[in-house]
Amino acid sequence: MFLTRSEYDRGVNTFSPEGRLFQVEYAIEAIKLGSTAIGICTPEGVVLAVEKRITSTLMEPTTIEKIVEVDKHIVLFDQVEYAIEAIKLGSTAIGICTPEGVVLAVEKRITSTLMEPTTIEKIVEVDKHIGCAVSGLMADSRTMVDRARVECQNHWFVYNEKMTVESVAQAVSNLAIQFGDSDDDGSAMSRPFGVAILFAGVDAEKGPQLFHMDPSGTFVQFDAKAIGSGSEGAQQTLQEVYHKSMTLKEALNSALTILKQVMEEKLNSTNVEMVTVTPDRYFHMLSKEEVEEVIKELA
Amino acid sequence: MAFHAMGDKYTAAPFWQNGPVPGAFYKFPDVNRNPDVTFSQRSQTPITTATSVLGIVYNGGVAIAADILGSYGSLARFRDCPRVMKVNENIILGAGGDYADFQYLKDIIEQKIIDEECLDDGFTLKPKSLYCWLTRVLYNRRSRFDPFWNNFIVGGIQDGQPFLGTVDKLGTAFEDKHIATGYGAYMALPLLRDAVAAKGDIGLTRDEAKALLVRCLEILFYRDARSFPKYHISTVDIADGVIVEGPLQLQGYE
Amino acid sequence: MDLIERNNRFLPDYHTGPKQAYFSPYADNGGSIVAIAGEYYAIIGCDTRLSSGFSIYTREQSKLFPLSKTTILGCSGCWCDTLSLTRALVARLKMYLHEHHKQMSTPAVAQMLSTMLYYKRFFPYYISNILAGLDVDGKGCVYSYDPIGHCERGTYRAGGSAGALLQPLLDNQIGLKNMENVSKEPIPLERALAVLKDVFISAAERDIYTGDSIYINIITKDGIKEEKFVLRKD
Repeated sequence: MFLTRSEYDRGVNTFSPEGRLFQVEYAIEAIKLGSTAIGICTPEGVVLAVEKRITSTLMEPTTIEKIVEVDKHIVLFDQVEYAIEAIKLGSTAIGICTPEGVVLAVEKRITSTLMEPTTIEKIVEVDKHIGCAVSGLMADSRTMVDRARVECQNHWFVYNEKMTVESVAQAVSNLAIQFGDSDDDGSAMSRPFGVAILFAGVDAEKGPQLFHMDPSGTFVQFDAKAIGSGSEGAQQTLQEVYHKSMTLKEALNSALTILKQVMEEKLNSTNVEMVTVTPDRYFHMLSKEEVEEVIKELA
Repeated sequence: MAFHAMGDKYTAAPFWQNGPVPGAFYKFPDVNRNPDVTFSQRSQTPITTATSVLGIVYNGGVAIAADILGSYGSLARFRDCPRVMKVNENIILGAGGDYADFQYLKDIIEQKIIDEECLDDGFTLKPKSLYCWLTRVLYNRRSRFDPFWNNFIVGGIQDGQPFLGTVDKLGTAFEDKHIATGYGAYMALPLLRDAVAAKGDIGLTRDEAKALLVRCLEILFYRDARSFPKYHISTVDIADGVIVEGPLQLQGYE
Repeated sequence: MDLIERNNRFLPDYHTGPKQAYFSPYADNGGSIVAIAGEYYAIIGCDTRLSSGFSIYTREQSKLFPLSKTTILGCSGCWCDTLSLTRALVARLKMYLHEHHKQMSTPAVAQMLSTMLYYKRFFPYYISNILAGLDVDGKGCVYSYDPIGHCERGTYRAGGSAGALLQPLLDNQIGLKNMENVSKEPIPLERALAVLKDVFISAAERDIYTGDSIYINIITKDGIKEEKFVLRKD
């Protein structure tokens, strides 16, 4: 049934001539791809057990919450996968989380010498204590960063405390999955955001944290993560160089070393952007001079 | 000032008309010029009213009593207005205040019970649930400035324990061992408190509780000009479930 | 004010006709709250009388609402508003727990309460709120509010029907105001408890809306301890 694509498989509100709802059946197929979950009901209560697929040792297993994971992103499954492809065209961004703080580094693609490099902003401040690096469609990312900023300020307004990095990721994820068929909560977006985001921040309780979110709205905590066109190679290198007791300086060096390897152009202080988020300095974007200093150490 | 006070069209408008008076906000002219049109009066006054309701907890149960007079102002207009109702097998409800509002809510509650029955899932409404629901309904109506002008007393058995609670037209709600509304709050409540205190930990029996409520109704009849010698009395307990009796007559006032 | 009154006759904008109030959505149900915070504890007490005018609704109504292991809210004023506000608060706390995977801290509850009250600025909850608990560092704290959300943090506060009666007493005994030759040391828990009971006894003597008994909650890092203490019942 999945070999023949027809116009009947696009929405849950259209029957096929045979009286089938393809979207529902696709959704059932989608579940077969998912990790296994078991539920057993006993007179004393119910037991739920779920398999967690830890695809990388740099992943934080506790942030994979399988008992919450069912929503609209199943509905437009292939659109999400196309969106994930879109990010693979994007510029590379790397995040590394150390006990001293988090490092974000991105490449800037200067496609013309007449371009003003400083106007390409790939790493932005969300709140004083949170920054994020984006890869993919920059225009889409504006909307998401805006939401992240609003959520942070709203959290501060209501609770008078800094929003945690995980909560920011959750809030942006809620926005990211609002595509698909519109329902009660207003009009829906026609396609997923073509953006992957790395959220880097310091929490009052949990310290430095790094979260990755993809177009499906799934977000997972990482020790180190690369996104964008060079992400596959970069992730492999990260796996090799990362260790739990990394210093901030080491992280800056490794991030830039890896960027240098995966970038097509020659790396210099104008075509990379670097940010540290630390418990005492919070969000800090490295100046041209500071970046040059790191580059000098590489050589 | 005297000229201005005449307010005729030949007099020049006062200097700085509509301007902000110290301590006041600027008001735009011709906005809400005719407040009578935009003003909506929703707060009603009760029309046909019923007087006090009494409730008391006894050993293993709850009793609620109220007379059956519907007053139209000071006129004793309707003489058969029962206002102690059985809600289900473990809840009884007494109401005072506007009789129409009570009938309206009574219909809704009865429909709730029917809906619940239709589910046929073995669950029934519990006294605390009805009490809480009434709190929300009455509070929401008072917040819309359109109150249900009632005092409700909810009695029942929940988890083997007697429950007695009350809600008024604002949504003010509390639980106690003895509750009286209206004039009953002034004249019957002290008697109920004394009787319960006198029994201490032993508590009252059902017959004692019923006799006490009837005695209180009689005393209320002495002084409350909106009361009546015919009444309903209802009990709910673990042993016998809900019993509603009435209309009964106060002895000696036929 | 006088200027407005005199202009009333010919300025329609300032016209305030006779208003006939058939129905008031508010009631004053009385009750008093006192909270004192120390270095490592916070205590909060309420009387248990719920009344309206000259009649006592019940003598056994707690006005304290435990919101978390480290936070307790005391409410007095319009009881129907109290019931609604505290229900909304408990719901918001649960939502916070689910959204952020952690218990709300006392300062966070304090700020949220302020915004919740202010959102009803033009139809306020007529409640005098006092929030007591431990902050993120484990220090005792007391937040007090006006009905429309003004919030301030302090170490001791009296509120409710006998609030104006008790606050000066606390200023003197806990704040050590107008005292000479005193060392401003942190108030020990035993002293705070004794003062709290004493001020309620005084309030019951003078305020008809305060009496019957008091409930005291003591919040420390080990949890919440409850105490009851009988007042005069007339």
